[in-house]
Amino acid sequence: MDWLNNTLGPTVTHGLFQLIGISVAFVGVLMIVAYTVLAERRILGFIQGRVGPNRAGPGGVLQPFADLLKFIFKEEIIPDKSTRFIYVLAPIIAITTALMPIIVYPFGPEIHIPFTNIAFPLVVARFDVALLYVLAITSIGVYGIALAGWSSNNKYSLMGGLRSAAQLISYELSLGLSLVGVVLLSSTLDLYSIVEQQSGWFGLQWNIFKLPAPQLLGFIIYMISAIAETNRVPFDLPEAETELVAGFHTEYSALKFALFFMAEYVNMFTVSMLATTLFLGGWNGPGVATFPILGIFYFLGKIIFFLFLYIWLRGTLPRFRFDQLMNFGWKFLLPVAILNLIVTATIVFFFAT
Amino acid sequence: MVMADFFTIFMFFVLAGLAIGSALALVAQRNPLYSAISLIGVFIALAGLYLTLAAPFIAAVQIIVYAGAIMVLVVFVIMLLNVEEEVRQPLRLRFLVPVAVLLAAVLFAEAAFIFFFVNEPAGTNNVAAAINAAGTGLTRNIGIGLFTTYLLPFEITSILLLMALVGALTLSRRAMVRPHELVVPGAQVLPMHMVDPTRVGDATPVKADTTAEAAALSGLFDRAHERE
Repeated sequence: MDWLNNTLGPTVTHGLFQLIGISVAFVGVLMIVAYTVLAERRILGFIQGRVGPNRAGPGGVLQPFADLLKFIFKEEIIPDKSTRFIYVLAPIIAITTALMPIIVYPFGPEIHIPFTNIAFPLVVARFDVALLYVLAITSIGVYGIALAGWSSNNKYSLMGGLRSAAQLISYELSLGLSLVGVVLLSSTLDLYSIVEQQSGWFGLQWNIFKLPAPQLLGFIIYMISAIAETNRVPFDLPEAETELVAGFHTEYSALKFALFFMAEYVNMFTVSMLATTLFLGGWNGPGVATFPILGIFYFLGKIIFFLFLYIWLRGTLPRFRFDQLMNFGWKFLLPVAILNLIVTATIVFFFAT
Repeated sequence: MVMADFFTIFMFFVLAGLAIGSALALVAQRNPLYSAISLIGVFIALAGLYLTLAAPFIAAVQIIVYAGAIMVLVVFVIMLLNVEEEVRQPLRLRFLVPVAVLLAAVLFAEAAFIFFFVNEPAGTNNVAAAINAAGTGLTRNIGIGLFTTYLLPFEITSILLLMALVGALTLSRRAMVRPHELVVPGAQVLPMHMVDPTRVGDATPVKADTTAEAAALSGLFDRAHERE
């Protein structure tokens, strides 16, 4: 590491390490997402009393690659009257804004590679306003869906796109407000520091249990808003198969549809990561202080729990009607999020001084 | 030149080029949706410029508020109103062209003046380092300033936003349909107490409430009440 610093300069070395980190995170996320799709189909099959895909490879483990090959070889259909630039831009925005937040999540504590003196925290980019960055990228993600609905030149797609955009911007509010409670407890927006402050005390320092203000209500509000933000059941009217053909991605075929599909699952993964980081203590778990590498496994384990929860909900709950959805978001969830914020702020003010 | 300085200058040119290019595209595009997307590009470039000036909070809030909320509203409006592409029209106000050139020259002269004649204190070539040392752009300091020194403008701005919200709601409200009245499809319901058709200058008085007629014509509600 020192000779790298001396030959290339500290900036380039830092950039090189970050590039390696981004590549590892990118490939890791895509692999996990591909197998989340398979897991969803198998688990939904189990809930619905059937077997999911189990033909491609033993137990179906090669199914994601089979799906990818199918998507690559399908015919690319671009509707004649659509605005081509926006039609191609929309899935690009969707997948880019889905993948961008993964660089700020801490996957593990500071790791020392044995026999060298290289030590680095397992986070790609650590900066002051990491949480605001995540919220900003979520706000941009609305455009992917709204522009997709518009550019398909199809009434059903437009309705699906506008409904979905309205749903997303409504639930962004309660999402952001439910996170402010955590920020008040940790007094920083940096995700690595938030996770560090949740270590110790055998899991009782996690933000949902953390005295003086346990964030259980904030956690529930966040989970509901996150399900709405990722367009999952029960909030998936914009892509409802029975009402709007396929919603905003009706007219997309082949690889562009694959991009939307992946973007939805990467979004699921991202909001699970945020929930784990902020509420369940990130990479904290038994034995992390002595073996820091265990942090990754605890982190991934908690994320897999959330992904399982998403799939479980998909198999169980019916879908909200659109006006019920908007009523729930504005008239119930937003006031409860504000209530959580007021109570947390009051408790922190009186107990932390 | 140190690597960091070179990188800063390079990023400045990239972001400034993106901002200017998007702004030109915004003005020159005929399709309004492309203009909206160009404006989003301008805001993202501005957020990048704020980042090079060591103001990460402002950069993030710029994306959240401008690119993520205000422009979503604009895009919604364009999509809902189905604004058409503009047709090229011959320029009618020809006298504006020399005025525009003159104003552009004035702007350019101002920028050149600032660039060449305003002196910076020595040693502050790296703006980001100087601001970082003072810590002005950090969230904590912005929060402290906003809630102690600048509390009054903060509260007044919130009331201003509330006024705008309530105003928009009031202007777009439709007439309240009371539950005991029937709503017949095809009937005309005017907002109560707002327009008295008999008092407008040259308008022919129209019957304001056509519910009963529509009900009788459609035959759907044979027990429609007379409300006149």
